[in-house]
Amino acid sequence: MASSSSYSSSSCNSPCAACKFLRRKCMPDCVFAPYFPPEEPHKFANVHKIFGASNVSKLLNEVLPHQREDAVNSLAYEAEARMKDPVYGCVGAISVLQRQVIRLQKELDATNADLLRYAGDSCNRGTGRGPHHVGQNSGSYNFSSPYDPYGDHRNQRSSGQGNM
Amino acid sequence: MLLLIPTFLIFTFTVFLTSFFFLLLLLHHYRPHCIHLSNSFLSLQWLDLSHWVEPPRRRPHLAGYSDNMTLKGAASQACAACKYQRRKCTPECPLAPFFPPDQPKMFQNAHKLFGVCNILKIVNSVDPCLKFETMKSIIYQANIRDKFPVYGCWEVIWQLQYQIMVAEQELQNVHKQLALYRQQHYHHQQQQISAMPDYVTSQLELGMAPPNNNNNNNNNNNNNNTISLLNHSTPQPYNDNNAIPVTQQQQQPYSNRSVDDAYTCAYDIESKENITAANALWAQNPFANNNSSINDNNNNAETVQSELGVSQPLAIEPEDVQDYDELHPFFDTIDDRQSYIDSKEAYDSSSSDESFKDTTKSSMDHAAENALKSAAACFSLTGVKLSVS
Repeated sequence: MASSSSYSSSSCNSPCAACKFLRRKCMPDCVFAPYFPPEEPHKFANVHKIFGASNVSKLLNEVLPHQREDAVNSLAYEAEARMKDPVYGCVGAISVLQRQVIRLQKELDATNADLLRYAGDSCNRGTGRGPHHVGQNSGSYNFSSPYDPYGDHRNQRSSGQGNM
Repeated sequence: MLLLIPTFLIFTFTVFLTSFFFLLLLLHHYRPHCIHLSNSFLSLQWLDLSHWVEPPRRRPHLAGYSDNMTLKGAASQACAACKYQRRKCTPECPLAPFFPPDQPKMFQNAHKLFGVCNILKIVNSVDPCLKFETMKSIIYQANIRDKFPVYGCWEVIWQLQYQIMVAEQELQNVHKQLALYRQQHYHHQQQQISAMPDYVTSQLELGMAPPNNNNNNNNNNNNNNTISLLNHSTPQPYNDNNAIPVTQQQQQPYSNRSVDDAYTCAYDIESKENITAANALWAQNPFANNNSSINDNNNNAETVQSELGVSQPLAIEPEDVQDYDELHPFFDTIDDRQSYIDSKEAYDSSSSDESFKDTTKSSMDHAAENALKSAAACFSLTGVKLSVS
């Protein structure tokens, strides 16, 4: 297992990035050692700066052992995003993606309406009946966006406006 | 006598409970941490004192106590942050505007993920005008982490990316189907156009106008659609090559890099939109323009999509109105020609040496014939042929 080899190597050779950063002795049962190798010091530095080592330790203890690596990676990503953008962090990307979803949904609705119109015309041509109005399909591809960052659906306004 | 003993026991027990309750009040006021032990003990009893975990000034079970009262009797209510930390909430509390007292869970999530010190550090590192947005993003991130303890915001980003991918695939399929329908429509109109000139030519030779479209709606629509297709350019079909790069990212759940690329793409897409003051911050984001190729693709994607968005309304516009306008010059020409023929015939007839009666008669005949012709113009092909014969 890579984690065990890194764990043994970190315990034998060098302390983990967390203990190095905190300037403490890296114990064999260090909770950070498997997930913060000494080759990536910036990873723990970001996480510690944004969340704090104690909070990260508590979070890791609350999840199952096989999920801790994913939890650490997600925390590292969020910390890096927050470092690069202190105002919005990773929430900015979520907001952009939500706007994209809404825009695609509107485009789908318009295109479906167009398609239905053509389909209706071709049917009328085939049957010889007069043209009839085809209802606009406005709900078949309704992708709900439950993760509205601010809970007030400001992202569903017209695109181009600063909702955040 | 036998009744007095249980009564005495009940009375003693009641007194004991009351004194214990009073002792608990005193302990809660002077030794707050002891409340937790007492709560765990009392929770086993029939009395529910779970609300004792609140700070001393919050005593809803006591009659007449108001939540608006603080230790010093101030009118302002303690914010959720100060309530959680069991401290006095001053008017200058930096967290009070963001953590209302009726939503303690919100602060608990933020405190669990970031901690008060880190929250204040982040908020104080940004411009004062952006503090509200910063705090809202922190609260949102903390709530997401509470909802998804392992993946946090990754979970939301992946779900949104999946939605975008599915929507784009649907859009591609719908565009392909739409292009197919338009092609069929065009071919049908082309067939009608090929059939039309012979008839039109024959009518023109006879000096007849083509049949008026008002009588036959189907033919009218077909003619309108034909001329509209001749005059309008068909909208460009959806180009697969210009798909948004975000969906082309390979999903690698256990790597930062793929989500980071999506994060970059998301920033790039945002920077190309029509920006307001808030979006101007996105454009100034140093992380936004790292990948020039993705920028170019996004430019193309945005341009194509904007053009598509603009062209779509044009395609959806009712063709009847414009076709009617397009047909007007044609009918005007025919009408002018008709009127020219009438005037010519009238001139020829008037310039002759015939008598007035003959002239009148011939003009009347001509007028009748012209009237018949114009009336025939209002009828179908069959009617015109009969008048000609």
